[in-house]
Amino acid sequence: MEAEESQTKEGKEDRVGEEEEEIRLWSWGAGSEGQLATGTLEDQSAPQALRSISLVHPISQMACGGAHAIALTSNGRVFTWGRGARGQLGHGDLANHLKPKIVDFLESFVICFISAGWNHTGFVTDTGRLFMCGDGSFGQLGNGDNQSRSLPQEVLFFLSKHVVQVTCGMRHSLALVTTEACDSSIYGYGSARHGQIGTQLSERRRFINIPEVILGFEDSRIVNLCANGDHSAALSANGKLYTWGRGFSGCSDYHQPQVFPSSLRFSQIALGWNHALLVSDGQVYMLGRMLTLVQQTSGRQNSPDISAFHEALAASAPLLQRITSLDDESVIGIAAGSEHSAMVTDKGKIMTWGWGEHGQLGLGNTDDQSTPQTLEIGFKGTGSYGLLRVYCGSGFTFVAKHG
Amino acid sequence: MSYDDVEIEDMEWSEELQAFTYPCPCGDLFQITKEELRIGEEIARCPSCSLYITVIYNPDDFRDSAEERPPSEQLQPIAVS
Repeated sequence: MEAEESQTKEGKEDRVGEEEEEIRLWSWGAGSEGQLATGTLEDQSAPQALRSISLVHPISQMACGGAHAIALTSNGRVFTWGRGARGQLGHGDLANHLKPKIVDFLESFVICFISAGWNHTGFVTDTGRLFMCGDGSFGQLGNGDNQSRSLPQEVLFFLSKHVVQVTCGMRHSLALVTTEACDSSIYGYGSARHGQIGTQLSERRRFINIPEVILGFEDSRIVNLCANGDHSAALSANGKLYTWGRGFSGCSDYHQPQVFPSSLRFSQIALGWNHALLVSDGQVYMLGRMLTLVQQTSGRQNSPDISAFHEALAASAPLLQRITSLDDESVIGIAAGSEHSAMVTDKGKIMTWGWGEHGQLGLGNTDDQSTPQTLEIGFKGTGSYGLLRVYCGSGFTFVAKHG
Repeated sequence: MSYDDVEIEDMEWSEELQAFTYPCPCGDLFQITKEELRIGEEIARCPSCSLYITVIYNPDDFRDSAEERPPSEQLQPIAVS
């Protein structure tokens, strides 16, 4: 076993010495299923430094779902924790785990990409194989049935293909496949209710449980996929954004990828249940809206402007709203929970905004925020701010130091 | 304000909870029992937070055949916000 939770740090919390182990992981927000890895089921409204968690190797990627989380370490191992009720942790049981636990089943593979949906999980190996576990009720595990699985199972459809990314939404999954000629193709499976698998099904079919190719990306080479809620999106190598699935801001659903009309070149995307965050040239933009802006802040500060803006927004096509105006900082990481958002800059500034009822903004309270607020996590790694990344689950947030 | 309008067909029956459920953005589940549907309730609540959804369904599908209601109490579909 490579990863053990060290219990030896107890009592050392206030002694900041040179020998203190560097903290690489922080969490806050909803904790009722153990998803914060704090070892408790409490919600936390302020960042919790996860001192007792050592994964031996640095984290290279995280993924957070409805109430579970995954960490991928630089040597290709995966650790999962949080809600396990549908088998989404991949440990062969349906138990919740309050601390990271290595996925033994995948120990003979080198994992290089992970994703967490509402209650399901995907793992991509360095040789292009795709494994999935968790809730399969809507066919989102892609193996031709609607069974849930508590151990990762290879998606056999992709046996002769090379998968490089997987992304899991509420009830659907998308996979990015590359060919030797460096072309890309995208496959979708799971619930089709809002068009999120990019395929128009006949009226009576509500899902597919075998991956189907998604058409409509023109000649673009897709390099990034994203799914959350009933939304799906893809970014091309030259920065074009395609969206499909549930419409933003009351717009109609799209059953095929639509190119988003914009002169901006997008480099990153994160999706919530009703909004999308985008990065272009180090600045953050948003499509759609979070809960707080229209529903929670009515009657509070700024509400007339905001509601007028969003009424106008809902009446037409979704508008791209610029979120940041940072002069000398660039946003290097974004993340979207179901109804909250987080970002981190190249100077290590972490900002959150959106719905805050479970403390998911980490600002020490449960207030909503309509604009990004700066947050202190107590990171002391001078000079390595650029290694911090943010990750959001439905109602919780993680910061991980990569490298 | 209702978080969303969800058709009953999109909710999942939970044997454990004895309720129809739908994912809540907080990570828990919106829930409504058959009994609630039978008496015409259309709000499914989340036990962990303040949010609720409006369930779109036909009350006749859940009503006991012996119980008849005046039409005025029938579910009025609410437009998606």
